[in-house]
Amino acid sequence: MIKKIIFGLLTFVVVALIGFAIYAHEPEIAPIANVDRSQFTAETVAKGRVLAAAGYCATCHTAEDGALYAGNYPVETGFGTLYSTNITPDPEFGIGNWSEEAFLRAMHDGVDREGRHLFPAFPYDHFTKMSDDDVGAIYAYIMSEVEPVPSDQKSNELLFPMDRRFLQAGWKLLFVNFSRFEAVAEQSTEWNRGAYLVEGVTHCGACHTPRNVLGAEKKSEHFAGATIDQWIAPALTAENASAIHWSASDFSNFLKIGGTRNHGVAVGPMGPVVHAGVRQLPDSDLKAIGVYLAERAGAPARDDVNSEILKASLAKGKPQKSHRWDQGARLYAEACASCHYNAAQIALSRPDLGINSATRLAEPGNLLHVILDGVGNEDGLAGIVMPGFRDAFNDEEVAAIAAYLRSSRTDKAAWTDLSGKVAAIRAGRTAAQ
Amino acid sequence: MIKLKVNGRDVSVDADADTPLLWVIRDEIGLMGTKFGCGIGMCGACTVHVGGQATRSCITPLSAVAGASVTTIEGLDETDSHPVQEAWRELRVPQCGYCQSGQIMQAAALLKDIPDPSDDDIDAVMTGNLCRCMTYLRIRKAVRRAAATNREANSNV
Amino acid sequence: MFEHKLGQRGNATSDITRRGFLVSMAAAGATFGFPLSVRAAMDPATADGMPVDAIGRAFEPTLWYSIDTDGQVNVNIIRAEMGQHVGTSIARILADELEVAWEDVHITHVDTAEKWGLMVTGGSWSVWQSWPVYRRAGAAGRTALIEAAAKNWGIAASQCSARNGQITGGGRSVSYAELVSAGLSRSFTQAELEALTLKPHSELRLVGKDVTALDIATKTNGQAIYGLDARIDGMVYGVPLLPPTRLGSSVRSIDDSAAKDIGGYMQTLQLDDPSGTVPGWVVVVGKNLMAAKKASQKIKVEWQAGDTASVSEADIQNHARELIADEGVGSILDTGVTDTGPVFQGATDTFDAEYTTATVLHFQLEPVNATAFQNDDGVWEIHTGNQWQSLILPSIATALGVEAEQVVMRTYMLGGGFGRRLNGDYAVPAALASKALGGKPLKLVLFREDDAKFDSPRSPSVQRLAMAFDAQQQVIAMEHHAAAGWPTGVMFPAFMPDGKNGLPFDPFAIDGADHWYSVGAQKVRAISNDLANRTFRPGWLRSVGPGWTHFAVESFMDEAAHRVGADPLKFRLDHLLANGRNAGSAPNSVGGAARQAKVLKRVAELSGYGRTDLSKDSAIGIATTFGQSRSMPTWVAAAVQVDVDRVTGEVDVRKLWLVFDCGTVVDPDGALAQCEGAALWGLSMALFEGTEIENSNVRDRNLNTYTPLRIIDTPEIEIEFVDSTEAPVGLGEPGTTVVAPAIANAIFNAVGVRLRHLPMTPDTVLQALQARE
Ligand code: FES
Ligand code: FES
Repeated sequence: MIKKIIFGLLTFVVVALIGFAIYAHEPEIAPIANVDRSQFTAETVAKGRVLAAAGYCATCHTAEDGALYAGNYPVETGFGTLYSTNITPDPEFGIGNWSEEAFLRAMHDGVDREGRHLFPAFPYDHFTKMSDDDVGAIYAYIMSEVEPVPSDQKSNELLFPMDRRFLQAGWKLLFVNFSRFEAVAEQSTEWNRGAYLVEGVTHCGACHTPRNVLGAEKKSEHFAGATIDQWIAPALTAENASAIHWSASDFSNFLKIGGTRNHGVAVGPMGPVVHAGVRQLPDSDLKAIGVYLAERAGAPARDDVNSEILKASLAKGKPQKSHRWDQGARLYAEACASCHYNAAQIALSRPDLGINSATRLAEPGNLLHVILDGVGNEDGLAGIVMPGFRDAFNDEEVAAIAAYLRSSRTDKAAWTDLSGKVAAIRAGRTAAQ
Repeated sequence: MIKLKVNGRDVSVDADADTPLLWVIRDEIGLMGTKFGCGIGMCGACTVHVGGQATRSCITPLSAVAGASVTTIEGLDETDSHPVQEAWRELRVPQCGYCQSGQIMQAAALLKDIPDPSDDDIDAVMTGNLCRCMTYLRIRKAVRRAAATNREANSNV
Repeated sequence: MFEHKLGQRGNATSDITRRGFLVSMAAAGATFGFPLSVRAAMDPATADGMPVDAIGRAFEPTLWYSIDTDGQVNVNIIRAEMGQHVGTSIARILADELEVAWEDVHITHVDTAEKWGLMVTGGSWSVWQSWPVYRRAGAAGRTALIEAAAKNWGIAASQCSARNGQITGGGRSVSYAELVSAGLSRSFTQAELEALTLKPHSELRLVGKDVTALDIATKTNGQAIYGLDARIDGMVYGVPLLPPTRLGSSVRSIDDSAAKDIGGYMQTLQLDDPSGTVPGWVVVVGKNLMAAKKASQKIKVEWQAGDTASVSEADIQNHARELIADEGVGSILDTGVTDTGPVFQGATDTFDAEYTTATVLHFQLEPVNATAFQNDDGVWEIHTGNQWQSLILPSIATALGVEAEQVVMRTYMLGGGFGRRLNGDYAVPAALASKALGGKPLKLVLFREDDAKFDSPRSPSVQRLAMAFDAQQQVIAMEHHAAAGWPTGVMFPAFMPDGKNGLPFDPFAIDGADHWYSVGAQKVRAISNDLANRTFRPGWLRSVGPGWTHFAVESFMDEAAHRVGADPLKFRLDHLLANGRNAGSAPNSVGGAARQAKVLKRVAELSGYGRTDLSKDSAIGIATTFGQSRSMPTWVAAAVQVDVDRVTGEVDVRKLWLVFDCGTVVDPDGALAQCEGAALWGLSMALFEGTEIENSNVRDRNLNTYTPLRIIDTPEIEIEFVDSTEAPVGLGEPGTTVVAPAIANAIFNAVGVRLRHLPMTPDTVLQALQARE
């Protein structure tokens, strides 16, 4: 999912300056014959493994049923199909003949070994914040532990002129600040560690920050939330729609286990971010991320306020015989409440939909996606699944459930054209298949 | 091949990823205690536990439970003496019995999450489980009895 | 039936290991070596359904049971188990007379061999019909054993007595097991059986007491085996494609090209059915169920529809009204003085009302299914849950083109019956599909939507009731005209008795209209709605006609009471006089209307009917009915307390009270369970169920729109049984009929509006309220 979102932002700049090509020129870095693996310590490799996971590199660089990191994951963009690259240490098809310097340049500057500009679907605008050491560790990990796979990359099927790589240089010029992370003196070490990870390797902003028409993150709306493919990456600011504010430990728990009691679970594009990635960071790093994100999202509300909100929501969820006379309420009572009902307190595995982010966002996409396709074992909380109602309910029935939740369990304005949105999401996945 | 755990045992199933878990359990694995009633998640006859959570297997695709741990009525308790099963027998809840695997699995999950449920709680959680024989009065009683058994067991510890 | 026994205690885990292993090793859809031929009988108490084997040479005093050399008694049951614990009830009747310990009793639901006679489970008949038969059978065994012991001891049989599997006499005792081991053969002629002395009521030790129901344990651990669980080695799966009309459709063309690439899809069969049961059926065959199902969604069939293709519920109901208006049609029941015309003409006051009920689905939780194959002996085996084997077996034979002896049915546990499986039509396409595959085992599964579409629903009905009063406001005549689809008329016309005018009638579509009130001249006219009969297969659904006739009668009695300014309770009691034809007769209706009056009075007491302390728009309503028919009346009365919301029209049932007089209660807890379930069915059909025929088919096919009662809708219920030593009569159905009219009457008492259609939805309540303003 995440791949689709990033690649969906593929864009280009029409800059026709003479000499631009010259500006854009980057030299090739000489291939190497062999990587001397003995130079990597076990600790470095281990660190690289974790960082590669935290950057969920495999998610984008592995095709369905393909070998790990062998690329060729097809990405539909508005301009055609892109295929991710083979980053296994195969010397011919992968990056086996890249020196560490070449790898560093790719991560920090978005330029490959031969000197070609990379499409910004590859979030080098974030990786540029990473320290040389950390990037080097990822290099060490790939070279030491990833199986070389001799598989060729499919050629991109992009329309002209969007397929011109040199134009990417203009995009970089306009939007990317190529520099390493700099600590903010007045913040704690923990905050700075969190900021380093979030702005760098975990590249949270890639999804959670809205983009301009040219597909670059809007600096002024950092973490304001964004919509892609009718999934919503919620705001990580005070504008976050959750009924109960996120605390630092909520964030770190969410990234560790895939959900929180009071907000929801990691599903859709966020599923692999957690499960194929970030959760592998050491607890101290997850805690640091939590501290940073919580500060960005505003101070956590006091507990007594939360408990009032919780109590009110639970009370609204009380069963009513009269439910049966409203289509959405009845379907909810008969198909959803067996799990989405709580008595005195909310159980982690029984999300309360009154306070759940999905019910409260400005658009219904997240809720509709989940009603239609559920939550698999690889999403959300580990080991727990939610069934999908795609083949069980028609558009109108799914819409009725969403409308019921919105009107009865939140104080938010009604969603519009719900049936139409259900149909669009239903068709979207069908088309992608 | 999709791998999962069923009643504590590793199982690999060679079926389409979109095959509903229900039919995998029944027709591929051969455990027939889990029943089919509606196929749209609205009767509860197909309820199993996935990760301890009551889950309607008829609308859960096999792909969603890859690597997960599934418990069916056959695996609820080694000697079939889960407090819910005991209560069900003592109060003679089943009539035709067809819905009861699902009812029992749902009730067992309910008591795990809400150990001392009120009638409202029972109604809210069990309303998803249709009993066409309408054994509801006894289901309510039996859930309360199983809860009481659990309470006693806990206080004796 | 199974290769290895599923779920013997303690074995479950190793069993799963083996299965897990097999699944890992086998290709998709592999099945595991189930034997091709099985014993066509079931014991619901064993994990694999296999009846217990007799040890040694068993003693069989009658067809109905045997006692083995271990003293174990195996009772043969011809009734289907569908939630009534019928085997437990029947075996207990026998065991009581036989004097054996309950622990030594086992039951076997038998196959359809001819010796068992008529096999039907319905009409709440099972206990009622079995009572004399199994008591005598038990007494026969007891007598034979006593005689054998007496002979051994050289004393008179009268000096011996039997108790708990032992004969004692002359200071000695011997067990049944020993007597059977020593060799015993004695059989009884019918005349001998009838001459046997039965135990007096006071000495019944199992009847009327709680014993362990033999089918409960396997219904709590997933081991009870239902039709859908049938597994035969080499079995394939069939999923039907249903024609646009139930009757008269034929297939024009089938295009399965889009299904060809579905893994496991095998072929599509166009059924040719000489029995005419399933015209126009197509069955999609797959190696596994999902393959067949997926393929069925891709196969295009063009049908020539039958002539009812556009028929709607309104068409059927309007046709009923036309039929009622035509005095010349229908069968007149013998209710004494039936010539009501002159009485009405001479009456001071008359009034009439029309009552209607909507189509109702069975929605038994296990969708209909059947597994069919030809066994090694060339016999066709049909494995399915069924309530009336004797009715469908000849159709299966006709469909297969073989003699009836060439077909045997094995009856599994039923995942709900409620009358749906009285009509075994679903077994026919399974047999035909297997035949088309050369006798290969095939399990035909109707998914829920197909099950609903293929249901034999409870027919919609229209009834017109009229009453005439004299100048003293005394009732002098009553008429009841009822038009509906006739299940017996379309499925078993030979079963229909003739009315007074020589025309046959379907008792299942009119029972109840011939009530026990003394009303002077009384005309009950049963009319078959031919449009309904041609459009769908009207079904027997839990109490069938009484579900609508009693709604009309008991609503109308309330209306009549109010018309003459009488209290509905008193008005009813004043007409339950137990005189003339309403006096009752032995053996089944001793006491007649007096017993109905008694349950009514009792329920009024229990409920506090007439209380004035209820809140506004809250009230209690009463009704009394009898079931299943005048020939076998279980007397019932109900009171219901409802709150009506004038703004939303919602009717909240707060509490139900029911009092039953069913004669001797054989299985107290089972009886209670039946009554609880029946009453809630009544409530469900009164307020929450009901669909409509749209373009020849039922509109609602699954739970997204069909909305039976659930736990949250279940009110508190208080049930009482009258102590009685009369013959036991049926209990499966009577409780269903009394609730709807009691609710209608309660609504009237609460907010003053009269609802004359089932279901009574908030919309109809609101409309009635608005109409009154
Ligand atoms: S069969 Fe799964 S909920 Fe009904
Ligand atoms: S016991 Fe028959 S459906 Fe519940």
